[in-house]
Amino acid sequence: MPETWRLVDVEFRDDPFMNLAIEEAIPRTVGLGKAPNTVRFWHNSNTIVLGCFQSANLEVNLEACKELGTDIVRRFTGGGAVYHDSGNLNYAISLKRGHPLIPTNDLQLAFQRLSEGTVQGLRALGVNAEFQPINDIQVNGLKVSGAAGSIRWDAIFHHGCILVGSDLSILAKVLNVAQVKLADKHVASVRKRVTTIRDELGRDVSTGEVKNSIAKGIEIAYNVRLQNGELSGEELALARELYDEKYSRPEWNLGR
Amino acid sequence: MSRQRIHTADYKAPGGKLVRVTLVEDSGIIRRAQITGDFFLLPEESLTRLEQSLIGIMITESAVKKVVDDFFTETGAQGLGVTREDFAKAITSVREPD
Repeated sequence: MPETWRLVDVEFRDDPFMNLAIEEAIPRTVGLGKAPNTVRFWHNSNTIVLGCFQSANLEVNLEACKELGTDIVRRFTGGGAVYHDSGNLNYAISLKRGHPLIPTNDLQLAFQRLSEGTVQGLRALGVNAEFQPINDIQVNGLKVSGAAGSIRWDAIFHHGCILVGSDLSILAKVLNVAQVKLADKHVASVRKRVTTIRDELGRDVSTGEVKNSIAKGIEIAYNVRLQNGELSGEELALARELYDEKYSRPEWNLGR
Repeated sequence: MSRQRIHTADYKAPGGKLVRVTLVEDSGIIRRAQITGDFFLLPEESLTRLEQSLIGIMITESAVKKVVDDFFTETGAQGLGVTREDFAKAITSVREPD
């Protein structure tokens, strides 16, 4: 009998700060044993999401953000800055620590294992997706998805964003990419390192279609059944608290 | 008169992530340290402790290496995309901004 995981579609498209507060509230609650293992799909509109160790000043073109109305929010996981818009699909997996899928506290293993469902889902759509260590999914050598995660609060947490049909011209304007990073990858700009599912398939594809395919990929990859659910009152209350004390505050988002 | 100077470094870990360091230095002694980048480090809060441990030491390979080694030993921190050697190299590769 396959294990059942909860599937939630809770999102605040125009409030990236609340979206990131929910992102933290779920693994905390799963870790406490007060919520089941959970997959979440969600969207942001026009937002840069910074890794927890990154400097906003160094990574972000603040002037371009102001001009383009791009919000900046910091997540609680490491890794690099990503650009979200309505053409970008986010997914997050929260498991209770000790889950047999990730038997050790090995973050690289978590990235690899917890990307498999997404890779399978993308392949089912017809793109040649492959996990690329440390934390990317590539299609024909170009990045289409980046993941981040943590093992804490008695939970294993993995989240990633998928460029389904994002506006890559805005991405290139609002994100600064360090020269040293580009030199290493032998390409001239961020624009040439990334691709979208739409471009790879050569047709319009909705984030909803990609979501359904990834949900199926997750069910197959981990032999689980996803069951639609809601956040509990406790999770929502925690998210609101995290919103007030952390994610709505410039000290957190722009502080480093 | 203060002789404090700011030094920065962008260090790309081999096959891994970017470590960006800003140090405030006075007479070879670190007065303030900030480490940022797109690496992973568990537990996340431990990075602040590494930054604080650098305050008061000389910017020399041996002094920095010892602080970084002690940090990993004492905290049991786990890096991904960055090793303890990368942190040490990033910190000692600082130079004054152009």
